[in-house]
This record gives sequence, structure tokens and C-alpha cells, in this order.
Amino acid sequence: MLPEEKTGIIGWGSYIPRWRLSLKEIAEVWGFNPEQPEELNVVEKSVAGRDEDAVTMGWEAARNALQRAGINPKEIGAVWFGTESKPYAVKPSATIIAEALGITPKTMATDWEFACRAASEALRTSIGVVASGLVKYVLVIGSDTAQANPGDVLEFTASSAATALIVGPREEAAAYFEASATFVTDTPDFWRRAHSRYPLHGEAFTGEPAYFKHIVGAVKLLFEKTGLKPEDFDYAVFHQPNGTFPLRVARMLGFPKEKVLPGLVTPYIGNSYNSSALIGLSKILDQAKPGQRILLAPFGSGAGSDAYSIVVTDKVLERQDKAPKVEDYLKRKTLISYAKYAKFRGLINRIE
Amino acid sequence: MRIIIPPSWRNRINRYQLIATKCRDCGRTSYPPSDICRYCGSRNIEKIPLINEKARLITWTIIYNAMDGFEERKPVILGILETIESHARIMAPLTDVLPEELQSGMLMEPVLRRIMEDGEAGLIHYGIAYRPLIKPQ
Repeated sequence: MLPEEKTGIIGWGSYIPRWRLSLKEIAEVWGFNPEQPEELNVVEKSVAGRDEDAVTMGWEAARNALQRAGINPKEIGAVWFGTESKPYAVKPSATIIAEALGITPKTMATDWEFACRAASEALRTSIGVVASGLVKYVLVIGSDTAQANPGDVLEFTASSAATALIVGPREEAAAYFEASATFVTDTPDFWRRAHSRYPLHGEAFTGEPAYFKHIVGAVKLLFEKTGLKPEDFDYAVFHQPNGTFPLRVARMLGFPKEKVLPGLVTPYIGNSYNSSALIGLSKILDQAKPGQRILLAPFGSGAGSDAYSIVVTDKVLERQDKAPKVEDYLKRKTLISYAKYAKFRGLINRIE
Repeated sequence: MRIIIPPSWRNRINRYQLIATKCRDCGRTSYPPSDICRYCGSRNIEKIPLINEKARLITWTIIYNAMDGFEERKPVILGILETIESHARIMAPLTDVLPEELQSGMLMEPVLRRIMEDGEAGLIHYGIAYRPLIKPQ
């Protein structure tokens, strides 16, 4: 028995802010080709409000996950927060969320860093600490108010959302882990230096040497480890930096688009970085049936990818309606202007 | 603006979990929490969190001339709400709502938000705001 098989997802939950910015408006403001949004297959991106950040969004996603899990928060032995938009450069976000949810003080709590894949590395590690018996439950959160240099092509998709998963013993799980694998190399596709406000990217490195190589690498490792094939999966969720990459990597690996579309959220909200793949998983768990198998493959720049095989159990059904679903948040939306987006995201410099 | 760190820290749990006090004698709930029941004077009270309770909006005010530190949040909307189960009265900021959407009696829920911050380098003060209920589709 692999260590993964002793563990599973007890509760899951997501959060998407109410505000949306149309990509057409970004193209108009910065003089991009008006067809660029269509090429990215993204219509709108979600924008966190002036009083929101990665902590507040992560808190709400975690609250939804706790409602689904129905466990005592005090039983959580680790709160692991994956983000690249920490409200404090130094001072953990995880402790704020742990305190607000009543999990403190007998818990581990820390913030993880690996671009968009920090929460996924935390997820894979959570399997280890739960399987070993070190802690009973781990709360893993991926949350980002993604930054992009105004006028940079990244601004089309850099968006805001959060997803939380509670990992615990398989007997209590709504979906259990079957196996997992990780594939990392040193790749200069995207970075942000310590005191820089916005990330930069090595344009030509984004696709083949980074996203495709690492996701394909991790998924093939998973296939080798388990003997599973694309036909064995009901759904496939990949990191979603735009609306086209996940469909292309699916084709490369032999998954039909019908297995990808149910978890593809980016066309409606953009790329929510650490929540990007996880919100796809969350949306699938909102509607999954017992016995279905899900491939999850998050990716983070720098670069790395994890692949998980996840099998849904009969406990999923009783938990699906216990908290708002991804679909509920997708439908709660109001378009705002570029000017209001600039104000909400602190792109306008004022003097105090 | 300057956030005074000791009271901000001391009150953090009350703020994050919306702690109120419930009187074991008359059964009524006081908010903010108080060692003495605000209604009957009893000291026989217990602390309860209101963070999982929905509330109805009773009334509100829209502030266009906000105090220092809130310039980017204008208009600031402050509401008075009554929680559904414990009937506690709470004054709190309202968020994710446009002035024209406000209605007496509308259902709202508490969420953790950035309430204020000390410029770019200072402390961030998190607390509770109410927003319209997320409706299942």
C-alpha cells in the first residue's frame, strides 16, 4: 500500500471575489490586439475588492472546507498556506487564518513558496504527515491576489481566488489519494525579485520548457508508478494559466477535452495562481460521483509540477451541499471598469 | 493613521470570531461582549462566537467623507444587523455590496476582511464585515 492510500480529502472549499474585469477592456486600455483575449480563451478575470487579500480569501475558502469536513478545528495539526501574494513579506499569513478559524495554538502553521505550486507542494507533504500519523488533519490553502505589471501580457489573466483542502485519514475522506508524483527543475520562466512589485517572465520559457515539460513529466511519472492510463480517469485538472494550455497538455497526454472542461475555470475568472488547478478540483468535487477518478496536476514556475490520482468516495455526496460551490461564486459577479480595478488592486499611487 | 498594537492584538479573537456574551439567566446575547448582561445585569454569562450566524440588515449609513485611512474605501457603508439565532445587534462595515442594492431585512453573513492598515509598512488590522449571503444557484 502506498502512503498516499492512507489519506484523502475530508473537506474542500473555494472562494472567488465578486468583481470581474473584462479582458477586452485591458486590451483597449493598453492597445493590445483586440483578439488577444480570444487567443487566451479567457473572457473575464476576478478582482479582489479593496478590503480583500490572500488571507481573507483563504479564510473564506477554508471556512467552506471546514463546513464540508464537519470536524473540530482544534483537531487540525497543520495550516499550510501557499501563495505568492503574501500581505506581509515577513509575518506568516497561516497564523492569522489559523487564529481566525479557532485552530490555534496547538498546530503547525506556515506559508509556502513555489510560485503557483506552493499549495500543491504543501498538499503532497500533507499526505506524508497524515499517513505517518504525525497529525490527524492538515488544512492546505492556495490563495492569491495575483500581481502583474500593468500593461504586461500577464495582466490579462492575473486574478484572485482561493481554494482550501482538508487532508486527513482515508476512512473519513470524500476522495482519497491513490498515488502522487513530483517533477521539478531549475527553469527561468517567471520570477519576482525580493523588492520588486511585479513579476517578470522569460517569454519563450513559459510554454514548452516550463508548463508542458513539467506537467507531462509529473503525469508520466504517476502513470509509470501506478500503471494507470488516461482512459482510467473521469476528469483531468491541470494548472490553468489561460484557457488553452490545459487543453493542449491534455491532448499531449491523451485526455479528451470532455474530461478537462468540467474543471476548467480560467475562461471565467483568469489565472488565480495557487488556486488555479485546485479550484478546478474543487469544482469537480462539487459535482463528482462516488467511484470517479480524478487526475490533478498543478504547476508552478521555477519550475515544477505534481500529479495526483484521486478517487471519489460515497462520502462526497453528503458534503457537496454543505457550503457554497464554485459555481455559486462564478455566478455571483459584477463587472467593474479598469479604473476601479486599478484602485482595488493598489495600482494608483497616492500620497498619504 | 496609527494602529495601536496592544488593543488590536488583545481583541483579535473577539474580532476574528465575532465573540459575544450570552446570559445564562435571561438568555439574551450582548455584543460587544460584556462581563455583565446588558439586559438583566446578571454576571452569569458565557462567551459565544457569532461568526457562523447569518444576520438581517436593519439599517445603514453611507459615509462619503470618510476618516483618514479610509479614503480608498469610500463610500464606507456601516450597517446595524441582527443575528438570526441569538438576536444580537451588531454594528459592522458592509462589503461586496453597492449602495443601491441595500435593503432592510436582507440576509447577510460575516466575513473576514482588512478593516484598516497602517500605510504600506505598518500593521494590517483584520476584522469582520458583513456581505450579502452567497446564494446557492
